[in-house]
Amino acid sequence: MTAQNQTTRTPRLPNWLRIALVGRNPKFTLARIAVLSVTCFVVFGFILLPVRIGEISMLPTYKERSVNFVNRLAYLRHEPQRGDVVAIRLAGIHLMYMKRIIGLPGETVAFVNGRVLINDEALDEPYEKSNCDWNMPPVKLDADEYYVVGDNRSMPTRYHVHGVAKRYRIIGKLFL
Amino acid sequence: MKIVFRFVLAAALVAFGVWLWMVLFPSPEKVIHKRLVALANTVSFSSNQGNLARLAGVPNLGDFFSVNVEVNIDVPGRVQERLMSRQEIVQAALAARSAVGGLTVKFPDINITVAPDKQSATADLTVEINVSNQRDPIVQEMKFTLQKTDGKWLVTHIETVRTLSIFHFEPLRFPSIVLT
Repeated sequence: MTAQNQTTRTPRLPNWLRIALVGRNPKFTLARIAVLSVTCFVVFGFILLPVRIGEISMLPTYKERSVNFVNRLAYLRHEPQRGDVVAIRLAGIHLMYMKRIIGLPGETVAFVNGRVLINDEALDEPYEKSNCDWNMPPVKLDADEYYVVGDNRSMPTRYHVHGVAKRYRIIGKLFL
Repeated sequence: MKIVFRFVLAAALVAFGVWLWMVLFPSPEKVIHKRLVALANTVSFSSNQGNLARLAGVPNLGDFFSVNVEVNIDVPGRVQERLMSRQEIVQAALAARSAVGGLTVKFPDINITVAPDKQSATADLTVEINVSNQRDPIVQEMKFTLQKTDGKWLVTHIETVRTLSIFHFEPLRFPSIVLT
């Protein structure tokens, strides 16, 4: 009778499987899951926004359909710098532009035969590999404005979204 | 234990009451949001639909706009369009349905601001348009102005918002079918 009782008390799952599923101490496992969930929610919801690159305007630096993260804390201690690839919000953050900053506040930006001129001096752009032939008269940026453009300038200028972005629209810097 | 149980029960009842209140008496923001999503669905049509099914939704499109609605769409390099009445919008929608295989319109971000008198509102939104057989979607920020007329929120004005001010833009005249 006692032996029968003991057999009925045998757990249904093997010990190793139980440990693999819920750990040695289920309470700690639950706590760990809760902490991990909250951390993921905060990090990927507010600090490092996961994004999928949808178009080709940042080729060849960022390929279409690649995944990246937007670091929203990048500009807490300093303002955006030239060469930074940033996310620019539209009405919200579900669809954003991803562009490179080439002009800083107060500067004058122009395109002459595909070369970027900042305050009448040519800008060195090692990331720009396309055959660009854009021309654009000088544009003076205000104190809170940045000139942003994609790296892929092989298409005519009218097909490439670029221009002046206000500071409040820049929500972060690309992480990878 | 009894006190805790009573407290939890009271909290649950309050939460249910709040939820019920919000369902029965939704805020203007919620009503407008729902209406804009319905508008996007009405404008969209699939390439699998037959001709009759495609045209079926078009008359309902007028219900979303005021009679003298003004639409100014200017998407650099893609679309430039100006429509001045509800009738023109319906005609443009009909033209789009016969000219384009399929069209999907989405508003992934909608920010609604209701005026203090609760009779008018503005919606700043991102429009994403996927046209069948076109590789890239059209993405544009837009501003909708709405007016409450006979208990219904009607769109009175639509204009494009320039997210990035572009100084060197040569407008292209594309068929008026893409945005309707």
